[in-house]
Amino acid sequence: MFKAIVSADTLKDALDSVSVLVDECKIRLNEEEFAIRAVDPANVGMVDLSLAAAAFESYEADGGVIGVNLGRLEDIAGMANSGDLIHLELNEETRKLHIQIDGLSYTLALIDPDSIRQEPDIPDLDLSAEIVLEGSQLSRGITAADMVSDHIALRVDPDEEAFYIEAEGDTDDVDLKLDSDDLIDLTAGAADSLFSLDYLKDMNKAIPKAAEVTTELGEEFPVKLHYEFAEGLGQVTYMLAPRIQSE
Amino acid sequence: MGNSDLRSLAALSECPFADIEGSTVAVDAHNWLYRYLTTTVKWTDDAIYTTDDGTEVANLIGVVQGLPKFFEHDLTPIFVFDGGVTELKDDEVEKRREQREQAEERLAEAEAAGDSIEAARLSARTVQLTETIQETTRDLLALLDVPYIDAPAEGEAQAAYMNKIGDADYVGSEDYDTLLFGAPSTLRELTSKGHPELMELQPTLDEHEITYEQLVDVAMLCGTDFNEGISGIGPKTGVKLITEHGDLFGVLEARGEHIEFADRIRELFFDPPVTDDYEIESDIDPDLDAARAYVTEEWEVDADEVERGFERIESAVVQTGLDRWS
Repeated sequence: MFKAIVSADTLKDALDSVSVLVDECKIRLNEEEFAIRAVDPANVGMVDLSLAAAAFESYEADGGVIGVNLGRLEDIAGMANSGDLIHLELNEETRKLHIQIDGLSYTLALIDPDSIRQEPDIPDLDLSAEIVLEGSQLSRGITAADMVSDHIALRVDPDEEAFYIEAEGDTDDVDLKLDSDDLIDLTAGAADSLFSLDYLKDMNKAIPKAAEVTTELGEEFPVKLHYEFAEGLGQVTYMLAPRIQSE
Repeated sequence: MGNSDLRSLAALSECPFADIEGSTVAVDAHNWLYRYLTTTVKWTDDAIYTTDDGTEVANLIGVVQGLPKFFEHDLTPIFVFDGGVTELKDDEVEKRREQREQAEERLAEAEAAGDSIEAARLSARTVQLTETIQETTRDLLALLDVPYIDAPAEGEAQAAYMNKIGDADYVGSEDYDTLLFGAPSTLRELTSKGHPELMELQPTLDEHEITYEQLVDVAMLCGTDFNEGISGIGPKTGVKLITEHGDLFGVLEARGEHIEFADRIRELFFDPPVTDDYEIESDIDPDLDAARAYVTEEWEVDADEVERGFERIESAVVQTGLDRWS
C-alpha cells in the first residue's frame, strides 16, 4: 500500500539527486520514509536518499518496494508547475503507479525490482577531514576545475587549516583555496584524493547552491557529500570512489 | 565435432559480470582477434586502418575497442597466442587442422556476408591474421601493459592448461573446444554486448555421467578440428555409445569403424604441448600516450576511430570502485 501527496519541487529534488547516477532504481516505501539507495553501473558513485513522511502533505506506506524508470518519472513530475501538488498511488494488483497532477492523470508501469541492480552496501569509511561549505562554493570550484581538466583533487592542509579544490590540466591549472573563514566548519585532518569530474559535475547539479554540504575526505579514499533538502526532511549522501593518483 | 554439437552437450549458464570481477582470463588470442577483425573490417571504411603503403592493421582498432570491457569489469586478460607454427608445419595432423580451420573461417565469412549490406565488398576480401597483425597486436598489448604469452603450439590448449592449474580463473574463447582441452571454466562472448556465457567442464561431465576422457572420445566420434568423425553419430548417440562401450576404441571396434591417427589426436587433447614458462603481472599500468602514438602515428589509424576506446581504458584503469571499501 502506498498513497501520498507531495509538492512537485520536493519530489523533483529527490528524483534529480538519484537520476544523475542511475536510470532505474528501487524505491523503498517505508512507513516513516521514502528511501532510495543506488550505485552507478561502474560502482563508482553511490547515492543514499531518504525523504521523511513529514516532508509529504500526506503519506501512507507499509514497507513495499517498487522499481521505477527515473527518466520517465521525472518527465511526469516535470509536467507540474512549481507549487503544484503531485498525488501518487500504487495499484498493488496491476503494479502500476497512478500519478495525478492538477487534473492530469498518468499511469506509470513499474519495473520488477528484482531486475534492478542490487542496492549497494554503504562503504565503511573512516575519513579524517570534514569540511562544511555552501553548495555554491563547491560548485564554483567544480566549474573552474572543469575548464582545465577531467579530474579534480580535493585536499585539506591541516597546518593551514584550509580546504583546496585543485585541477591540473595539460596547459592550465586551477586552484581554489577556502580557509576556515570561508567555510562554515572545518575539522582538519590530512586528506587528499583525486576524483573524476564527470561524476562530481553530475552530483553537483543536484546539490542546491544554498545547501550546507558536509564533505568528508580522506587520503585516497572515497569522498562523502551530505546535504539536506525539503527543509531538513530530506537527506542525501553521495559517495564517490577516488581515482588512482599516478604521481 | 562442430560447434553446435559440442554446444548441445556443454553445461552453459549466463554469468553476470558482477560475479567475475577481479578475475584473470586467459584469452585465446587468435580466436578473439579473429572475431574483432571480421567485425572491424565489416563495419569500418578500410581507409581508416590502412597505412599509406597499403598495410592493413584493423586489429589495432579491434584491440582498442575490445579491451575496455575487460578493464571496466575489473578483469585481467592474459592473451595467449598460437606458437610454434613452423615446427608443426610438416605434421600431418596439424596440417589437417589448419585446413579445417581455414574452411571454417571461410564459411563464417560467407555467413557474415549473407546478412551484411556490404556483402559484395566483404566477400571479395579475406580476413587473415597476417604477420603484421600478430606483431602489432603484441606491440600494442605491451604498451598497454596487458599480459600476453606465446603458447608452444595451440593458444587454446595453453589457455585451458592455465585455467586447469589455477593461473587463470577462466579461459576466454568462443570455441567450445576448450572443454576438450580440459578447461574447467570458459567464458564466451566476453566482449560482446550483454553478459558473458559460462561453460563449465565438471557440470558438463556430471550431466552426461561421463569422464573427461570419454567426453573427448564422444567429440572424436562426432568429429573434431583434427578428424572427420563417424558419419551418423551425433552428440547424443556419441554419449550413448561411449557409455556402452567404455571408450573410443571400444566403439570403433564394435562398429567396425576406423579413425586415422586416433591415438595421436586423443593425446593432442589430453596432453597438448604447453608451457609453464611465463609470468603474469596483474597490475596493469598502461602507457596510454605511447599506445595512442603507436596506433595513430606509427600505424596511421584515424584518431577518431580509437579515441573513445583509449578514454575508456584510461578511466577504467585509474578509477577505483566503491566495492573496494565495502
